[in-house]
Amino acid sequence: MAGQEDPVQREIHQDWANREYIEVITSSIKKIADFLNSFDMSCRSRLATLNEKLTALERRIEYIEARVSRRITVRCIVLSDLINFVFLSHGTFVKYI
Amino acid sequence: MPLVKSTIEPRHLCHTVLPRNIKNELECVTNISLANVIRQLSSLSKYAEDLFGELFNEAHSFSFRVNSLQERVDRLSVSVTQLDPKEEELSLQDITMRKAFRSSTIQDQQLFDRKSLPVPLQESLQTCEQPPPLNILSPYRDDGKEGLKFYTDPSYFFDLWREKMLQDTEDKRKERRKQKLQDPRMYDQVYRYLDLPGQLKAIDRPPESEKVPRQPHDRKKEWQKLALGAELAQDIQEDKHREANGSAGYHNNRTQLYMDQLDGPFSLAALPYSQMNELLNRTGDRMYSRPHDPPPLPPPGHSLGEIKPPSVISSSSGFSDSRPQSPARTAGLNSSTPPPPPPPLPPPPPPLPSTGLRGTPPPPIPPLPVQHQPPAIPPPPAPLQIAPGVLHPAPPPVAPPLHSSSPARLQHLLDKGQPGGSQLDGTILPPPPPPPPLPLPGARSSPPCLSGPPPMPAFPSAGAMASPPPHTKHDVVTKRHHPANLPPISDARSVLLEAIRKGIQLRKVEEQREQEAKHERVGNDVATILSRRIAVEYSDSEDESEFDEGDWME
Repeated sequence: MAGQEDPVQREIHQDWANREYIEVITSSIKKIADFLNSFDMSCRSRLATLNEKLTALERRIEYIEARVSRRITVRCIVLSDLINFVFLSHGTFVKYI
Repeated sequence: MPLVKSTIEPRHLCHTVLPRNIKNELECVTNISLANVIRQLSSLSKYAEDLFGELFNEAHSFSFRVNSLQERVDRLSVSVTQLDPKEEELSLQDITMRKAFRSSTIQDQQLFDRKSLPVPLQESLQTCEQPPPLNILSPYRDDGKEGLKFYTDPSYFFDLWREKMLQDTEDKRKERRKQKLQDPRMYDQVYRYLDLPGQLKAIDRPPESEKVPRQPHDRKKEWQKLALGAELAQDIQEDKHREANGSAGYHNNRTQLYMDQLDGPFSLAALPYSQMNELLNRTGDRMYSRPHDPPPLPPPGHSLGEIKPPSVISSSSGFSDSRPQSPARTAGLNSSTPPPPPPPLPPPPPPLPSTGLRGTPPPPIPPLPVQHQPPAIPPPPAPLQIAPGVLHPAPPPVAPPLHSSSPARLQHLLDKGQPGGSQLDGTILPPPPPPPPLPLPGARSSPPCLSGPPPMPAFPSAGAMASPPPHTKHDVVTKRHHPANLPPISDARSVLLEAIRKGIQLRKVEEQREQEAKHERVGNDVATILSRRIAVEYSDSEDESEFDEGDWME
């Protein structure tokens, strides 16, 4: 009886150990997948914010370029706009890149 | 329900069948599970690669934009320092000689195109069943369209929208020209007569911008209408629109009329379809510029046809209401189709149950203009149909080739003075025959040489193939009499018929050429289409249209 139990028991124990090992691996795979998904989401949201800011900047630059090329604006207004631009643009770039 | 973008492939590690002759099953299961774990890791790494690839592409495009922005800022700073407030140019030159502002920002458009599909979704799309290879038939088509487009067309809605936008810009331009011709102070009357753009805009844009100049008159009108009674209000409005030649306005009122009549459970079904159909009418009408009669007639008939018995009564009452008006209208309108009075009875759109139409005593005229709706209608009826089979998207586009030969054929029938002719039409045509596209285009393409005999033998073959057996016998027997009579009688008439057919074809080709030229110019640029339309709508200046047209084209 003891002789019969031993190899069987050993096998069963071994099997349980294997299963635990596999379980550890699969749970870490799930963690990796979770991490990837959340990284993806956060990255996309940041990129979208960045995109928004870029678009806003582009539009303002277009406006200023148009104004400057027509030479109608007063110089100081344009300068102050530019200063705002540069300040904001450098601020955002430092933050996200 | 969220759409699964990508999956990690072996979902279950050990749900496999074990091979039979294994001594140590536990070890076997362990090994199998470990192998599946490795496969899972590989699919996980593929998923990660796709993910990071997409993120990288986006970030890469941002880097380009940032660099270009940086350059522009530098240039601007330089140019600003060079600005000299003492250099003041003459204001007149500034205003008139300056090049108009052209924005170089890229606007996002066509976001959900097939090309922008992410890679994992493309791969899962590849694993789907392909549609039938109908494109192999497209070299054999006469009208040059792709065969697969009648089965499934991903760009259908965009094309529809683009047509509508282009048409609306044209309408607006014409309206402006008319306004120029008329007294500029008569704005209210112009808006009332050319009712179509106003009605359309109610669907497309928020109404507040357009309704402001119209409100005072509308209120009086409404009070007058209600004074006479709610039932008569609709009729009065219809009469006015009929007088004022507002054909689309007429349609809109018809849709309203039907939407009022179809209450309760039917209204939901009627609503989107009637609006869709109105959209389609706008495009369909312009494309063919034929007399329009109630296009809303088929859709309420169709949606009702799905919920049959009580609705037939209301549809028939609707039909009877429209009856006195439609013949008068079609008689009064200048029709480009040669035989408007003779009963053409082409295949009605297949979604219509034949009982629905036959139940009402149909004067033949309304179905005639209906037939040019089918080419635009096929995909919308497809999702709405229950009973009809797969063939239905194909037959309606058969209707135009059928139709252009049908007037010729019907002329023959009428000229023979066949008593059974009208019966024939009534019995043949409701089941739309799929085979005819092949024989009939062949027939149509050879009108210059043989007008009479080809349509006749082609048609009986088609009729024999498609129509149910009792009708077939009737058709074939009577049709076989025709070829014998044809040669002596048809000569004089055949010349006339050829001329008529050529006239139709010429007109169609001209219109198509105009449309195609426009399409080539416009392309798929949503931004330009929209901007052009908005420019035409909102601008009040008189010299806007031609000037803008040239500039937007660049």
